[in-house]
Amino acid sequence: MVERRLIWLAGVVLLWGAAIFSKLITLQVLHHRQYADMARARQELTIDIPAPRGSIFDRAGAPLAMSVPTESVHINPLKVPDLRVASEILSLVLRMDRVELYGRMKNAYDNHRGYLVVKKKIPFEEAQSLRNMRLDWIDIDDESQRHYPNGSLAAHILGGVDFEERGNGGIEKALDAELRGIPGRERLLTDVKRRGIDALLSTEPRPGASLTLTIDERLQFVAERELAAQVAAKNARSGSVVVMDPQNGDILALASFPTYDPNLPPHEGEDPEARANHAISVPFEPGSVFKVITLSAALETTRLTPASMIDCGRGAITLFGRTIHEAHGGYGVIPMADVLKHSSNVGAIRIGMQVGQEHMYEYVRRFGFGQKTGVSLPGESRGRLRPLKIWGKTSLASIAMGQEVSVTTMQLAQAACVVANGGLLVRPRLVLKRGNEKVPAAAPVRVVNPETAITMRQMMEGVVLPGGTGWPEARLEGYSVGGKTGSAQIFDFATKHYTHSYNGSFMGFAPMNNPAIVVVVTLNGTHGTGGFGGRAAAPVFHAVAQEALRVLDVPKDLPDAPPTTVAANPPAAADDDVAIADFGDGPNVLEDGEEEEQGVGGGGSGVWSGSARQSASALRADLLVPDFRGKSMRAVLAEAAARGLTVLPDGSGVARVQYPPAGSTYHQGERIRVRFAR
Amino acid sequence: MATMPTFFRRTQKPAGARPRLERDPYCLRALPQEDVFFYCKKIDNSRLVREPDPKSGGACWSAIGAAAIVLALLTGVLAPSVAGTLAGYKLESLKAEERRLLDERRTLELREAELLSPERLEKLAERQNLVTPKSGQVVRLDGNKPSGAVAMVK
Repeated sequence: MVERRLIWLAGVVLLWGAAIFSKLITLQVLHHRQYADMARARQELTIDIPAPRGSIFDRAGAPLAMSVPTESVHINPLKVPDLRVASEILSLVLRMDRVELYGRMKNAYDNHRGYLVVKKKIPFEEAQSLRNMRLDWIDIDDESQRHYPNGSLAAHILGGVDFEERGNGGIEKALDAELRGIPGRERLLTDVKRRGIDALLSTEPRPGASLTLTIDERLQFVAERELAAQVAAKNARSGSVVVMDPQNGDILALASFPTYDPNLPPHEGEDPEARANHAISVPFEPGSVFKVITLSAALETTRLTPASMIDCGRGAITLFGRTIHEAHGGYGVIPMADVLKHSSNVGAIRIGMQVGQEHMYEYVRRFGFGQKTGVSLPGESRGRLRPLKIWGKTSLASIAMGQEVSVTTMQLAQAACVVANGGLLVRPRLVLKRGNEKVPAAAPVRVVNPETAITMRQMMEGVVLPGGTGWPEARLEGYSVGGKTGSAQIFDFATKHYTHSYNGSFMGFAPMNNPAIVVVVTLNGTHGTGGFGGRAAAPVFHAVAQEALRVLDVPKDLPDAPPTTVAANPPAAADDDVAIADFGDGPNVLEDGEEEEQGVGGGGSGVWSGSARQSASALRADLLVPDFRGKSMRAVLAEAAARGLTVLPDGSGVARVQYPPAGSTYHQGERIRVRFAR
Repeated sequence: MATMPTFFRRTQKPAGARPRLERDPYCLRALPQEDVFFYCKKIDNSRLVREPDPKSGGACWSAIGAAAIVLALLTGVLAPSVAGTLAGYKLESLKAEERRLLDERRTLELREAELLSPERLEKLAERQNLVTPKSGQVVRLDGNKPSGAVAMVK
């Protein structure tokens, strides 16, 4: 009896045990994956770790663009217990319009939408206030916002980003892949309160690479300030300035006007020209500044020297049945150096004809025109240079004085660097460092001989001396300067004629020995004589170059007091190096499509303006060089000032040697070098 | 009416009542309406003396020791895990703090850059009647020549 009861009891216990065991098998073997996944879903949290976008600095390390973390708020309208109360709470904390917010929430709720972005990029304090409320229908996401702390400074260089922090202009777009980081991911084991206990798997975020530009923030500010002021003063349409180091191609400043604030998104009514980078994207006919190329080619390929006499035909030249006049007055037979100094168009044509088409085309290409400079900015134009095979009969004459070719301010700066650094073409460089790695400069290419470059420098110095088209606006206190002005009429595409608006330019460098900077200024759409290069662009050059030389601590090579003019001769009249060209029938080079598809065009006669009218007597040397030997520096400078002479002193003590020697003929604008010793 | 003596005598045994017998301790409780009485077995263990068992004491201490060892082992097994969990809390909290501080630093760097922007400094300089020095106005007191200077005008 007892045994039967025990057996029954054992059987019941066995069955119970079997039931428990089978349940264990079901839970831990058959449904293992399902329950493990459920546990993982509850216990683990996958979070994305945002990678900050790389910052952009100027050459001194001042930040130009940087991203800061921010947060966005979104809610699930379907989980909100009371929409009115929720809208009141949110509008109070986030400082929003309650009625508008309620309308949006109601709309989302009625449409059964479980996601509504309330506000993006909120301050940390507002996000923290919402977190502390611990409301399960509010979610806060981490985001990033790009800031440009200097406002519109260097806007065209930096560009901007869109709402997803992708570059949409400037360096931000050109180097977007490097600036963008790679976000990380972390799988976090959490407790019941969703606090992290352990990171099970994590991929570290890779921040975007920071970039150090060659730009100098201070120079950039000065360039933009002076450009904006001059564009307003001359009632011009736009303008651009490029400052470069001629030795390595570093772009120290690149300004374009009008400008914009990259912190603000594009809005309706905004001037579309404001977003265009006029320094690299808007080509124009350069006019007389292009004579630097013509004369460089002449020095390289012909027997011409600065003293070679050029017949300027008293202001007129006839080519292939068409007569071309200077705009004002005319010159007779003058040295080649004076052709540049007074910007004689007839003289430039004569010189260009001696160079020849093939050599002219070759040297225009060598100086970098008709091709991109390769600067690290999107939207660069290569300008326009017709292929040699479609040049017309007068194309050589046109190009010799800067017509029938279109260039950008950046290309002009690159070409000026060739003259400034001794004949090497250096590529413009905008990025100095990527992270901590220096970006090597591209190898320079020899364009002209060093002797040619030095000779060109000396001739260009004459432009900013008394009698030159750049005098007196382009002169600098304490530094010798070389440059060239340009005033090109603007072509009207509607009427197919040249207008009386000008592109006033000035291209210059300083100091003469071992130039430290090249500055090119262009104002587009100036008017009247005040809009010529020497009046409109040269003052900007003066302000920017003076500041640049001070900031870069370049040693002076002249006394601080500016040299006085030669009293016997009146200074040059208004800067009259206007290149007026009305070719009538042919298409303007700016209308060209692909160069290869264009036919002959752009030829024909035209009327050019010449340089200032000057009497022949003004060009004759009528002074003898005095004898300074044996005199102290103070006495030498005093005597030179009284006579209106320009003296370059070297050393200290008593004057020992001078050049030109005493008693020789003094030429207007010439400088007398005096060596002092004890 | 009952007299007082009768009232007080009510608590006394009535006359003629049978005296209760002395109850046998081994006699079990009588069944109702029954004259059958059951007795439980008389067992007198008063003469028995329990002698101390040396083995039982040892077994007891062994059990206590074993329990202590098991507890120690359990603690040893679980303690690192608990410590790891606590350290994990601390670590994650420090990571979050690090991220917050880095973000705050970026915000402060931005603020610094805004305060040092050239436009703002220019406006401040104008208010203070300060102007950009002209070339030659800056005098180097350390007497060092700028690099690259070949000849300078005094």
